[in-house]
Amino acid sequence: MENTVVKIDGLVKRYGDLIALDHFSLEIKEGEVFGLLGPNGSGKTTTINCLLSLLSFDKGDIQIFGKEMAPTSYDIKKDIGVIMQNVAVFDELTVYENIDYFCGLYITDKAERKKCVDEAIRFVGLDDFLKFKPKKLSGGLLRRLNIACGIAHKPKLIILDEPTVAVDPQSRNKILEGIQELNAKGATVIYTSHYMEEVEQICTRIAIMDKGKKIAEGTKDQLKRMIKNTETITVEVLGLPEEIVPQVSELPHVYDCRYDGSRLTVCCSGGKHNLIRVLDVLQKNDLSFGRVYTELPTLNDVFLEITGKALRDKED
Amino acid sequence: MQVFKAFMKVLRTRLSSVLPYIIVFLIISVMMSTMGGADEKFTATEMTVCIFDEDDTPESRALAELIAKDNELVELENDDDVILDSLYYTSVDMVLTISKGYSERLAAGETEGLLTTKHIHDSFAVAYMDQLLSEYVVTVDSYMAAGQDLSEAIASTERTLSQETEVTVVSEETMSNSEYFSNYFRYLPYIIISVMLNGLCPVLMVMARKDLRYRTNCSSIRLSSVSGQTFLASAAFVGAVWLIFMVAGVILNGGLFSGRAWLAVLNSLIFSLVAAFTAILVSSFDVSDNVVSLITQIIGLGMSFLCGIFVPMEMLSSGVLTAARFLPAYWYVRANNMISGVEAFSGRDVMLFMGIELAFALALAVITLLIRRMKYNRAESVTA
Ligand SMILES: Nc1ncnc2c1ncn2[C@@H]1O[C@H](COP(=O)(O)OP(=O)(O)OP(=O)(O)O)[C@@H](O)[C@H]1O
Ligand SMILES: [Mg+2]
Repeated sequence: MENTVVKIDGLVKRYGDLIALDHFSLEIKEGEVFGLLGPNGSGKTTTINCLLSLLSFDKGDIQIFGKEMAPTSYDIKKDIGVIMQNVAVFDELTVYENIDYFCGLYITDKAERKKCVDEAIRFVGLDDFLKFKPKKLSGGLLRRLNIACGIAHKPKLIILDEPTVAVDPQSRNKILEGIQELNAKGATVIYTSHYMEEVEQICTRIAIMDKGKKIAEGTKDQLKRMIKNTETITVEVLGLPEEIVPQVSELPHVYDCRYDGSRLTVCCSGGKHNLIRVLDVLQKNDLSFGRVYTELPTLNDVFLEITGKALRDKED
Repeated sequence: MQVFKAFMKVLRTRLSSVLPYIIVFLIISVMMSTMGGADEKFTATEMTVCIFDEDDTPESRALAELIAKDNELVELENDDDVILDSLYYTSVDMVLTISKGYSERLAAGETEGLLTTKHIHDSFAVAYMDQLLSEYVVTVDSYMAAGQDLSEAIASTERTLSQETEVTVVSEETMSNSEYFSNYFRYLPYIIISVMLNGLCPVLMVMARKDLRYRTNCSSIRLSSVSGQTFLASAAFVGAVWLIFMVAGVILNGGLFSGRAWLAVLNSLIFSLVAAFTAILVSSFDVSDNVVSLITQIIGLGMSFLCGIFVPMEMLSSGVLTAARFLPAYWYVRANNMISGVEAFSGRDVMLFMGIELAFALALAVITLLIRRMKYNRAESVTA
């Protein structure tokens, strides 16, 4: 955690009347896997595009590798690898030609480039598809191609904008492992997603954004400590008498208790032995129950508590 | 040269929609050239001429008789409206007035203002007749200068000119060869514009795809290098297409171009530029492939029908021709008509027409720049 790789300061970006980024600031240190988490339309892609000088912005300051970023900062750009949210490859070129093209935008030496391209292909496991056109690839393979195009030149800073959209769980895991491997080799990673599980799994530090604003930042434990929920207990129980819910609510550390006809949900804030106390109440009232489970808070709970809405729609 | 290479690879995938144009055109050209030689024979271009002989002397009647030999004479009421109507509806091709005092002035050695001709529709025959008339007067004059009297001079002139007519017949025959050749250059713009719109335009659209442009702009390649390589690749394509047609032209012609044909070559190069800039302009709009091919058809066929590529200009109404002036192909065809002798040749006019074509190319380039600037500003991109 020494050098600052990316520093965004008070970034404001408007699209007409819409304020896409509202005084957004961020600092990313070397070696981090930094997660940018936010629901659809919260401004993740806009942040990335401003960071890369692809978009002009209204206010703010952006530094990468300690230098001011500008459209002509080719010395900065040469060390950045970009994996766009929309797969950006030539439909007319084969898998190999695509990787070679994008790698060649950075590396002009032929022999060196060939080495890099071959390595990238092995890294994403596209060896069997070199002669394929992108249209012939499945969604997961296409995403892997997109990644290979972004990392072949061995960048020090890798920016991935939702690289796992429309990817099956197996491919997704492979991609996440790959990112961690790149990080282990020394790359700093910026990872945007609206899948909190992914971000929780790989990111060392996370910023949560909503409507162009940063609403929380820290390691996942820090984030979870920010909210009062520490444990959610669920008990499957049928025909719960009405007077039980108030009894449970009165237990220490419990701040919310609900019953929906088949499940009793108890939210606790801090303390120990919460589960035992809840089950105790049920036993004393001679109630039999089915499955019991407790959950630690997720980033969704963090988001829910801060913004009052779920991070993403259920069907996502 | 990554961008250049990618351009060429994308282009390769588009060749299937371009090659048919080139191949079909070349096959048709070969067929025309092998059939043309045998079938085309010189037929005297006969015109309907109305002569108002205000002089009415033996000399003026001699001239009228000479004209009557190869042309059909008709009588008209000497009234401007009637004359104009007849010319307009081509019941008469040309009206010749032999001025009062024709024979006296001819005897006095004057050559100017003796004869007035009126015509509306330009054609080779009209130009030829104009030339014949002035030649007639000048020849009579030179025989008199050589010491003959007027009637002798007229007789000699008739002899000379009929000999020359035979010479003309011979040269007319080589003309018909070059007439085939002028056909090659006449249809060329349709093919060139089709090839540019179907070949160059889609490739440029791929290269300018927003996601690819963004992705390329993220990299350490300079923007000027991207534009430079794209330009170079486009120029290589345009040059190659043009060269293919010129080489094919040389082969079909049975030898290297000569004389004025080089002007036709230059004309086609200039039009290739116009076509390329048209393709670049079309590629600047965010439209789907289907719309592009629709635009392609409209531009290709529309220009060809309106500007005298498919239908000779003589058959187009003056309204169409006026409208066609706003299309570059019109000026190509005009220049080509002059070069191939369909219209009377004027070096200055040919240059002017080519200049107008270049102006079109320039205008298209400027419009393209403005559109691109607007488009990228709207996207609020700083790196466009
Ligand atoms: N070119 C544009 N013109 C106008 N508004 C835009 C443009 N691009 C994005 N926006 C708006 O800016 C806001 C932020 O968009 P952005 O794409 O950055 O969100 P995101 O977090 O990346 O969302 P997603 O998860 O869907 O990718 C959205 O409300 C979007 O509608
Ligand atoms: Mg996005």
